Amino acid sequence: MKLLLIFLSCIIIGIAPFYGQIDLSLEKIFMQSSMNHQVFWNIRLPRIILAFLTGGILALAGLVFQTVFRNPMSTPFTLGVASGATLFTALAIILGFTYFISLFAFLGSIITIIILFLITSKLQDIHTTSLLLVGIALSFFYSACLMVLFFISDLSQSYEIVRFTMGSLDTVGFEDVYFMLFSSLLILVIIVKFKHQIKLLLISYEFAQLKGVDVKKTNYILLFVVSISVGICVSITGPIGFIGLIVPHILKTLYKKSSEQLIYPIFFYGGVFLVLCDLIARNIGVNSDIPIGVVTSFLGAPFFIYLILARK
Amino acid sequence: MLKIDNYSNYILKDISFEINNKNLIILGSNGAGKTTLAKVLSGLINSQNIFLENKKVSDISYEQRTSLLNYIPPKLEIFDEHISVEEFLMLNKFHTTLDIEKVLTTLDILHLKEKNCRRLSSGESQLVLIASAILHNAKYTILDEPTSNLDPQKLQKIFYLLSLNHTLKNKIIITHNLNLAYKLGFDIVFIKDGKIHFNGTSKNFFTQENLNIIYDGTVKKIENNIVVDI
Repeated sequence: MKLLLIFLSCIIIGIAPFYGQIDLSLEKIFMQSSMNHQVFWNIRLPRIILAFLTGGILALAGLVFQTVFRNPMSTPFTLGVASGATLFTALAIILGFTYFISLFAFLGSIITIIILFLITSKLQDIHTTSLLLVGIALSFFYSACLMVLFFISDLSQSYEIVRFTMGSLDTVGFEDVYFMLFSSLLILVIIVKFKHQIKLLLISYEFAQLKGVDVKKTNYILLFVVSISVGICVSITGPIGFIGLIVPHILKTLYKKSSEQLIYPIFFYGGVFLVLCDLIARNIGVNSDIPIGVVTSFLGAPFFIYLILARK
Repeated sequence: MLKIDNYSNYILKDISFEINNKNLIILGSNGAGKTTLAKVLSGLINSQNIFLENKKVSDISYEQRTSLLNYIPPKLEIFDEHISVEEFLMLNKFHTTLDIEKVLTTLDILHLKEKNCRRLSSGESQLVLIASAILHNAKYTILDEPTSNLDPQKLQKIFYLLSLNHTLKNKIIITHNLNLAYKLGFDIVFIKDGKIHFNGTSKNFFTQENLNIIYDGTVKKIENNIVVDI
């Protein structure tokens, strides 16, 4: 089963760059003069890599948040990191700074994290439920602000904001890819470095403390670094939901191993999942691509409900 | 020396005692504050009133505390769904040369080694917890109701292990099993409504007169056994 999955994943990644509005052929992509060459190296390949890395980051971020918050439903989006990015993007669009959208989105997530940490540094207990609740409250607050921005924006601005919230993997050249590569390294390095602490946290907070972990500090470091990584992600692709929720769940059911042993599989299959969703998004629409967030949710939501019903 | 000095919180009032190279048993009715006391002693509840070798526990780093303090809860609660007994025990192995298989064999639970911790019965998980305490081998180990779910044979086995001086250095055992407490013969601290009502030797605690005062006549000493009259 696992081998079959790896095999299928390789096929998906292998064929993904060749299908889309223009189907490419393998021979032509190496001919410098052909359009196929241009499309493959400048548009398709960066896009596939971007999709793969984004999927991997979001899936791993989901795993970390679920471990830290003791809640299988939590993802970075639950804490308002993505809503912060969306709000600031909307602000950039309305203020006319369209060239700086990514920067604003990144700022939005960072400011959200800082607000969260300022509020929670006032909390005494090591239980993170309060942090989760603050995150949820912040999300609602951001939604309200976003509504205000919608209200004062004109039609084309509103349209642009809506498009951002649907997520998009459109990219040209490798600039975005480099940012995403940095973001992936950041999240992978921090998780691998804290692997032992994560395993202890997977037992219980008290157990981890008795075995020498400064639980509060560890949780904060993990959340902070992961949030930065997700912030970079969201600033480039917009919010793409569901991956952080379903990929860790599926892999835990499949592998039946403790979460900290699944770091690389979760990154890999998170990536493959988004490449697959993107492949579908690029091929199902008649005139243009379907927004990626729509595909992940269409595939993810029913499958997730099935998973919950299937487990006893 | 582990010392608690004049500690009070929402449930405990003016708790002071010290443990110096010995074992201790903490008794008390449900809700008296025993587990809270255990968590305060082990540093899980932060406080300025606990001292280890005259050093404030809150000033000792978490990493250094591992060799000094350990708390064993009455139940094994694990968040992750797929952690095996062996994996769990591996996480407790740092101040000892003891071998996991050897400890499991001593406790007659070698067959549980590969089993998922979530699939253990309450008694089995208690034995796994005791194994984890032995592997961790801290200077002070607080065992919170370590025998509450064991069958008679297992209870006998654990009693024998706890009575040995070389299983764990300083044991602080919270229990409701009065006969176990009596037979172990360790010093007794009895807690009622968050206060220490008795602090002394086993011999002085288990006299019929004292038992009558403390347990309102429900506990009898019959032929060198402590029996609850029901």
